[in-house]
Amino acid sequence: MKKYLRENSLGLVFGLLFLIVLVFQALAGHADFNERQVTEGLPAVSLARYVTSASFATDVAENWQSEYLQFFLYTFLTVWLLQKGSPESKSLDEAGLESDEEQKVGRYAEEDSPKWAKVGGVRQKIFSMSLGLVMGVIFLGSWAAQSIAGVAAFNEEQLSQLQDPVTWSEYVIMPDFWNRTLQNWQSELLAVASIAILAIYLRQRGSPQSKPVGAPHSATGVEG
Amino acid sequence: MKIRAVTIAAGVVLLAGCSSVPDRAEAASGVALGMLTAVAAGNGESACATLAPETLHELEESAEQPCAEAILDEDLPQPGQVIGADVYGQWAQVRLAGDVVFLAVFPEGWRVVAAGCRSRGEQPYDCRLEGS
Repeated sequence: MKKYLRENSLGLVFGLLFLIVLVFQALAGHADFNERQVTEGLPAVSLARYVTSASFATDVAENWQSEYLQFFLYTFLTVWLLQKGSPESKSLDEAGLESDEEQKVGRYAEEDSPKWAKVGGVRQKIFSMSLGLVMGVIFLGSWAAQSIAGVAAFNEEQLSQLQDPVTWSEYVIMPDFWNRTLQNWQSELLAVASIAILAIYLRQRGSPQSKPVGAPHSATGVEG
Repeated sequence: MKIRAVTIAAGVVLLAGCSSVPDRAEAASGVALGMLTAVAAGNGESACATLAPETLHELEESAEQPCAEAILDEDLPQPGQVIGADVYGQWAQVRLAGDVVFLAVFPEGWRVVAAGCRSRGEQPYDCRLEGS
């Protein structure tokens, strides 16, 4: 058990932190929603009602979609894009999909390689892109969820202001949808640019996100 | 097996408090129509029972009369056929022939927040009866 916890501590700790923070987001969002309810002369809603509301779903989905967009772009574009001196980048001579031998696929696969790395054909191709594909699918799914929950939450606010509701196809070209979307995208893209560039010159001893403390600034694609 | 049972139970609990959107739209339409019908019949008491607290308070304050009398002087449209209703979260908009009514959810059910409403395009509706 101790060994399991130690060997899986990264996933477990971040998973647990996510759940804790999600709970606190629900509590803060519930309080904020009820403040507005009271201002409009309406009764407060229960926590159960709030966490099943379009308002909460929008706030969750708009953040998830941008995180998965970040992971999708980061995973996919770092195949080809380079950053000299950054541990976030591959070495300057490694841009592209690399050879089968370097990637241990097909006849270069080892005994303990995943099955679909050896199998060839469409399955091997899909497995070779599975990380980016899944990130991309989750991004599109959560962005769609943001738009669906978002139009419902937007329309609830429209009615509270004695205005007409809008359709989904009207909503997805409206400033509210794009304001929410773009404010999330800009921070994700800034985060990737920041880590890629700051890690050229700064160090975090023991972290795989950093170069070794004594590694030169020009060293590219090395981990601490 | 145990995890599946717990997941199903959680889903049932979450959904237990939810009515379907068509049911909620029908309920809101019923309240809107009921209010206008009561006003048309001269039954101010029944009409006032369908108002949201803020709307009732605003009506009594501006008219300087009890609601049951003031609401009959608001010149609200005659009750017409329900053309459509939209429900989003805690709010509903009911469109009738000759009127648009806005309602919100209270512990006792749907209550009229604004009635006798006229569209002004992109601007909020201009309503003869509305809360502050």
